Amino acid sequence: MSILFKQMVLLYTVAAVLSLILTRYHRLNNIITNLLSAAASFCGIIFSLKYLYLSLPAAELLRFEATVPFLSIVLRVDNLSAFFVLSLSVLTLCVSLYSLGYMKHYFAKNNIGVFNFLLNIFILSMLCVITSANMISFLISWEIMSLVSFALVVFESQDPENSRAGLIYIIMTHIGTAFLIIAFMLIYVQTGSFEISSIGNLLSPHIKNILFLLFMLGFGVKAGIIPLHVWLPYAHPAALSNISALMSGIMIKTAVYGLLRFVLVVLGASNTWWGITILLLGVLSTALGIAYALMEHNYKRLLAYSSIENIGIIMIGVGISITAYAEHQTAIAGIALLAALFHVINHTFFKGALFLGAGAIHYAAHTKNLEDLGGLMKRLPYTGLFILLASLSISALPPFNGFVSEWLTFQALFQVLANLSIGLKILAMLSVAVLGMAGALAAACFIKFIGIAFLGKPRSEQAQTAREVPFTMLLGMGMLVLLCLLAGLFPQFILMLLDSVTQELFGFSPIPGLKGFSFLPYFELPINKTGVSPFIIIFMCLAILFIFYFFIKYIGRNSRQRLFKTWDCGFGDLNPRMQYTATGFSKPLRIVFRLLYQPKRELQLTQGPSPYYPNEQNYVVSTETVFEKYIYRPLTLSFTHWARKTIFYVQTGSVHIYLIYILAALILLLVYNWIF
Amino acid sequence: MNEILYVILQLILVMLVAPLATGIIKKVKAFSQKRQGPPLTQMYYDLYKLLKKDTVVSETASWVYHLAPYITFVTALAASVFFPLTASLFNLSFQGDIILAVYLLALGRFFMVLAGLDTGSTFGGMGSSREMMIASLIEPALMVALFTLGLIAGSTSVSAIISANQAGSPLILNPYSLLLFSAIFIILIAETARIPVDDPSTHLELTMVHEAMLLEYSGKHLALMEMAAAVKQLIFITILANFFLPLESFLTLSNPFLAFFIGLALYLIKLIAVSLLIAAAEICTVKLRFFSVPNLAAISFALAFLGFMQFFVIGR
Repeated sequence: MSILFKQMVLLYTVAAVLSLILTRYHRLNNIITNLLSAAASFCGIIFSLKYLYLSLPAAELLRFEATVPFLSIVLRVDNLSAFFVLSLSVLTLCVSLYSLGYMKHYFAKNNIGVFNFLLNIFILSMLCVITSANMISFLISWEIMSLVSFALVVFESQDPENSRAGLIYIIMTHIGTAFLIIAFMLIYVQTGSFEISSIGNLLSPHIKNILFLLFMLGFGVKAGIIPLHVWLPYAHPAALSNISALMSGIMIKTAVYGLLRFVLVVLGASNTWWGITILLLGVLSTALGIAYALMEHNYKRLLAYSSIENIGIIMIGVGISITAYAEHQTAIAGIALLAALFHVINHTFFKGALFLGAGAIHYAAHTKNLEDLGGLMKRLPYTGLFILLASLSISALPPFNGFVSEWLTFQALFQVLANLSIGLKILAMLSVAVLGMAGALAAACFIKFIGIAFLGKPRSEQAQTAREVPFTMLLGMGMLVLLCLLAGLFPQFILMLLDSVTQELFGFSPIPGLKGFSFLPYFELPINKTGVSPFIIIFMCLAILFIFYFFIKYIGRNSRQRLFKTWDCGFGDLNPRMQYTATGFSKPLRIVFRLLYQPKRELQLTQGPSPYYPNEQNYVVSTETVFEKYIYRPLTLSFTHWARKTIFYVQTGSVHIYLIYILAALILLLVYNWIF
Repeated sequence: MNEILYVILQLILVMLVAPLATGIIKKVKAFSQKRQGPPLTQMYYDLYKLLKKDTVVSETASWVYHLAPYITFVTALAASVFFPLTASLFNLSFQGDIILAVYLLALGRFFMVLAGLDTGSTFGGMGSSREMMIASLIEPALMVALFTLGLIAGSTSVSAIISANQAGSPLILNPYSLLLFSAIFIILIAETARIPVDDPSTHLELTMVHEAMLLEYSGKHLALMEMAAAVKQLIFITILANFFLPLESFLTLSNPFLAFFIGLALYLIKLIAVSLLIAAAEICTVKLRFFSVPNLAAISFALAFLGFMQFFVIGR
């Protein structure tokens, strides 16, 4: 069993080293490293599928002992880890194939050797994070992951925007890591061990509450939960698209993994308020994430905000699960965890596909601004199709996978509504409302993305001349989209794998009779005395379509179809500038939610011959990022102000004062030694 | 086998009844204006005529534009299968989840809105943008109302909700159901583009929403879109009629055909009642300013949420 895993680690390492060696030969380097990492991912898929399917007990995979005390890297797998390994491997397989074509543009500009080295190390570090057996290896791989992803974010360092994004990212992620270090040290002080194991009953409730808050802050930054999300909308657009796909598809999920591992398994989720906190933050992230996504014109930033929304949906599931577990309702906890984990892998699929698709648009049209695109559906037909299908999926529409996890989340909320205390019920109903609204807003957001970028007429020269991307890029996207469709049509398969996880964590199986491929009658997915069967529905839709298509064809057998220009009210030709823009499309919602967006309008006129006929008009609309303006900016300003002031008291520039510092430190250390 | 029989019967009935509902509303409106109005069967003629006509397609449009009418139509029909028109159809064999039905309708809307943007016309974009705003604002109210119904029934399955309505007194007699009924009624008006929100009889005005998206469609595409809108309207009418108003559970007839026809007659009576309500709303109100629609959505949400809270206080 562990052979496959060792092969995987080995292949990634070899790929990383080879790419450093072959720095000079861009093309060869790109092909070899990506094929190697695709092979490694393939091992990972087989490994995790086999593990989850057989539902094996936890097993140690790798162990490096150093002579330094505590420094031992131990990797271990259990069902929860295996599930995250599965989503990591699937995404990295597709991303590697995609990179074969995608990186061609960067051969001349950047050092591909270093890039591919970093990429493989990045994947490897994420793999280590989700399989770490002790806190030391967790922390080391977590830090490598953060640093390498920082390097990848600022890889296109020609652009000052990217450096700024990288700076915000590295500061935020280190604040998060600091909280994690404190938490791990606290655990060590209390229990004397760095093992990641269930220690809930060894700690006092007081300490557990503190630990929960530390973990929440530490992992919340990485997950991008609002209000800790500020780095996310900058870092994702700055990175290359294959990196954004990995960052959004997997890296932010490692935080979900960490939260589940440390709050649910290590601390044992004993307090209801923990779950409620996570649920509330999830609801907040869902609502605000998608609301901000709607206002974006940079399609990569739009996708980044949408990641925040999806993390919110996952957090709603995790929150319910932890709340229900604390209330000893394992059935509800199981369903909620099922929903959350299903959404984790779904988000990996569709957000991976969407970021890869965004990369394809950028590859073809060289712009990240939606307002410069248009009419790409005719120029990039396959990319367009894939992005359309992935958008349907992320908007939670049947028969795609997004619907299944959203439905499961709704069912988990329904269980809370039916079984738990009155306060929780009201909270659950509000979550239902927010989730419903987020679904509709997500649809609006992705309609805007597709409608402006792919439909209508091209709005610029670049869009006019764009051409379809290479085959390998389409392959990477296409595989993910196919997985979205398959996971939506046959959710039983993924649930069967997830069943091992809930069995392991709660000893509870929400779907008995799913083991093996004995699908239920009519492929139905029954929970809470109700069920959905996307497969049957789609079958029915196709049957209806088939019948009516021929019926309509028969009735209209004498009619013709002709092409003509769009109706222009008789005023002559319509031009691309008369189309609705992305800004215009979202304007009604900007006005309705003006309290949230605080839109600012600026109209500049240059004086013409008469005040009524200005020569030039310039109209700028911007929305306010509330959290940055009212929380982060004042905070950083007051911090720098305070630091600047206190530095005068500490570093006075006088040698005498420095000598006193040294003396004081010496005395303190002596006293410390004397006492302990 | 029973399932297939059910689907076929239900689809035939929906196709027959949906244009009729539109006809009834139009007729009532015409009477209120002291006009004769078009015959009840006018929409059937219109659809038949449209299907036989030539279609004109914009040069700018991509395949999305061609596909959208079919998807909108098929998803509306598929969603209508979830809401059996009569209880005897429901007894035939039926299972379905209400959230899936709502999301199927959303799938149809997704394509309809995309098609509005596809032709590069300003009207289409305007309609699409407004439709998405109304949809996003109305969605929370709809989810809360349906979830409360689900809570009353113990499950979000449609059959559970209908059974809850069948067992004992009809749901409409409960105070919280009255609130839910009004909430869903407002949602119906918004979703089917009726007067306080949108005007179905307008063409080429700057205020239109639904019609603006369909402006470029002609011939069979337009027929499909119109039919899809009628089916969607019938779905919401059926929700009101069969989830709240009395169902023919008191009938224990041995002859299934007789029971079916009596049930159908009862359904038609309820249909006329709800259509009268819709027509009354259209007659008595004027079209709201577009940015007052959020208030209407908020009222609907408040009603649904109050219904939910009251359900806890009073209980079943």
